[in-house]
Amino acid sequence: MKTLILAATACLGAAGAAFAASAVNKDPQPRTLIVTEGGSKSELAIGPGETVEFCSSGCFVTLPNGDREALTGNEAIEISGGAARFR
Amino acid sequence: MKPLNRHSSLALHTLRHIFAMLLLLVLAGGGVSVVAHAQEATAPTESTAPAPADQPSAPDQAVPKAAPVASVMAEQREKIEGLTKQVDDISKKIDVAGKDDAGLVALRAQLEAVDKSLLDSGVAFRPRLAEINSRVTQLGNPPSDGQPPEPEMVANERHALNTEKAEINVLLGKAEDLSVRVNGMVNKITVLRRSLFTNMLTKRYELANAFTGEVGHAVNYEITRLYNSVSAWLRFVVQFKFRAVLAATFFALLVAAVMQFGGRRIFGRLINRDPSLDDPSYLSRLSVAFWSTLLPTLAMGVLLSGTVTLYTYFNVLRGDIGVLLSGFFAVLFVSFFVNCLSRAVLSPDMPNWRLISIESRAAWLLVWLMTTTAFVVGLDSFMGVVSDTLSSPLSVTIVKSLVAALVVGVLLVLIGSVRPFLDEKGAPRRWPTTLRYTLYLIGFATIVSALLGYVSFAQFVSQQIVITGALLATAYIGFLAASAISEEGAFADTSVGRWLKNRHNLEDTTLDQLGLVANVLIHILIVIVFLPFILFQWGFQPGDILVWLNKLATGFKIGSFSFSPLAIVTGVVVFVLGYFITRWFQGWLDGSVMARGKVDAGVRNSIRTVIGYAGVALAGLIGISSAGIDLSNLALVAGGLSLGIGFGLQNVVSNFVSGLILLAERPFKAGDWIVAGQVSGTVKKISVRATEIETFQRQTVILPNSELINGAVGNWTHRNKLGRIEIPVGVAHGSDVKRVHEVLLDIARSHPMVLKNPEPFVLFAAFGESALNFEVRVFLADIGNGSIVQNDIRFAIVEAFEKEHIQIPSPRRDVVVKTSTSSNGWSIDDEKAEAEYLEILTARAKAAEQPAPRRRRKKPDPA
Repeated sequence: MKTLILAATACLGAAGAAFAASAVNKDPQPRTLIVTEGGSKSELAIGPGETVEFCSSGCFVTLPNGDREALTGNEAIEISGGAARFR
Repeated sequence: MKPLNRHSSLALHTLRHIFAMLLLLVLAGGGVSVVAHAQEATAPTESTAPAPADQPSAPDQAVPKAAPVASVMAEQREKIEGLTKQVDDISKKIDVAGKDDAGLVALRAQLEAVDKSLLDSGVAFRPRLAEINSRVTQLGNPPSDGQPPEPEMVANERHALNTEKAEINVLLGKAEDLSVRVNGMVNKITVLRRSLFTNMLTKRYELANAFTGEVGHAVNYEITRLYNSVSAWLRFVVQFKFRAVLAATFFALLVAAVMQFGGRRIFGRLINRDPSLDDPSYLSRLSVAFWSTLLPTLAMGVLLSGTVTLYTYFNVLRGDIGVLLSGFFAVLFVSFFVNCLSRAVLSPDMPNWRLISIESRAAWLLVWLMTTTAFVVGLDSFMGVVSDTLSSPLSVTIVKSLVAALVVGVLLVLIGSVRPFLDEKGAPRRWPTTLRYTLYLIGFATIVSALLGYVSFAQFVSQQIVITGALLATAYIGFLAASAISEEGAFADTSVGRWLKNRHNLEDTTLDQLGLVANVLIHILIVIVFLPFILFQWGFQPGDILVWLNKLATGFKIGSFSFSPLAIVTGVVVFVLGYFITRWFQGWLDGSVMARGKVDAGVRNSIRTVIGYAGVALAGLIGISSAGIDLSNLALVAGGLSLGIGFGLQNVVSNFVSGLILLAERPFKAGDWIVAGQVSGTVKKISVRATEIETFQRQTVILPNSELINGAVGNWTHRNKLGRIEIPVGVAHGSDVKRVHEVLLDIARSHPMVLKNPEPFVLFAAFGESALNFEVRVFLADIGNGSIVQNDIRFAIVEAFEKEHIQIPSPRRDVVVKTSTSSNGWSIDDEKAEAEYLEILTARAKAAEQPAPRRRRKKPDPA
């Protein structure tokens, strides 16, 4: 039973982790990311403290401070001071 | 490539997909060892593949300090430039190969690979970027005006870092733009392919031009060339590769034989029909049909694809022979599959096992008609491949496809005109009208469109009929089996059902429910297995399907609400998991911890209930958040609802809170005998909204918790079950009261269930009108035995009083009779007055004899 639960949890964790990148905004003001995914650019606004999931199959992101990053789709990033930090 | 053959190659492509999928299925079924082997085989390629992008992206890997920093930049710049060049090339190729579907698919795959590499290049910068950022943070901001200047070295370093970062950003920007361009090209390819498909279907050929007399020549020429190339290859094989061919053929045959015989050994029961069975159940007929189609087809697929793979491995296939051989094998495979399927469904040699009750002769006829149709379609596709490889003139291709389309059309009409059923008189009857006319319609449409010159369309239709039809038929058998299994009692009759029944002692209703579950699972399985096949057949590529799956998994947006089926399923799974964990924890805590710790049953019940509700609530919250539903939105809704709750759900909430108080305060527990208002009985269950009480008449009363909190509740068994009962008894005036007291006390003391301490007490309660009233008061260890003790004591009292001649009196009554004559002095008729007086006396005596109505005192009746 325990093994089963552990295995199921691990599976869920793996499944959850594999499907999208997530970004959390630690700044007190809303931040906007420019996400280029699948040939289209879109702006992604993240409110203070909010966490969003995006970029399911890899994308390019322009961060609020002008830095660019490429994501493969399984990262978790933290935005503070307009800059990103990978967790 | 000739325009007409494009579609033939598309079909071949599809067949290859089907081959590959079947092979995959077999491998998956083959067991872990095969998978492990495959992994071993792929592992080295992964590790040897130059993956500069992957290495630095590993999170826990330290940044290669030794490697010169500039090399990452230079390397990636080079790579991105290379990719740009590649994209330029592909862009040109799209314009050139705009009319070749397979070419476009290949180009799209290349573009997707480029997109992936671009992303990898981008990721490769990540460690360096992180390094630069952290160093810049360490250096701090440049000093503002008025502050002392910083050392030159620091300023230089910052400058260098910022420059490098800017360069990286520029490169990443290039990669991003290129990625956008690549995606645009992918979309362009999709549009091109769509229009290509439409054009193919609507393309018209001038048949008159095709039949200008050169056709005979051309066909002859083509056959000669085919013969030459095949014989040249055979000579080559015999001379140089004879052993290799023998070995390859041997291995392929060996694998197929293992599958065929091993499969028969293991699944023999599933495949073989038992001729002795007079009336096999519908489910067993279906299952035999399904397995006897699937397993031999799989074995055949493995044999054919194994042969091609092994020949390729041993370098036996030379030049175009590989393509020809694959095409030929595809024909064999499709014909074999359709033959298996039609034999499975129609079972021409065993009428009992037929899925549709048709005539034996018609069954044989249909099997051969269907197989021939499949063979002709396959052959047409193969000839398309031959024409392609030998670069035959267009006229030959048109003529071949025309003939094939006509033959298929005629075969379809023939299938439609078979008379498979018998009517009441035993005369053959046709197919149902709808089916018959559909077959006629498709058959004639094929013939007419081919004759009008729409050969590609006719070819497409006939191919779809055979392959999609066969796939749909197989899937349909699966669906039928799924429905049959969910019928009442059907699952219990299957071997799995019997096994479950024996192993786990399951009841029939449970098995029926499991049958329903099996039904749903089989439906899902069939859709998962067959949908890709049918989509491939209709020109979709595996890439398309993967993209869809990805969309399905990551969700799509409707307005501002993003909806992701996978997330919702995850949420539900998490909730179910949480629920079971709660139940398990509850059971463990209750059974292993609290029972061992001798915790009071009431406390145990409270803790158990609270944990149950808390666990379910927690599981619900976690489930909702894993489903991707933002809880803060929910809080907003809850805020709005709270007003409504205040009015509408006031009672429910009040009961809920009362329930929590009951669980915490525990004025009574399950099993207690309580009196609440009009209700008196045993508490069965304390839930959060209401409490279940069973009265002594075995009526279950659901009492809202708020009533138990707001009203007075009497609990007979709160701390202990000790309780007092009273038995009133009256004795006649003039009895010896001391003796009575003694007798009653003796009786009370001598009862075994009566407690010695507090000791029993006899109260001389009152001087009644007709009796002297006593009351026997005794304490019992368990008030639940009250009625038994009362009974015993009453019986004993009656017996003892009889022995002691103590009377239990009836209430005394005086009857006063008023007569109207008595007031008028002496009566004239003395005799009459005397008689009347006698009557009154007798009446009085009678009244005295009649038993007085028993007066019962009200006492709490414990039982």
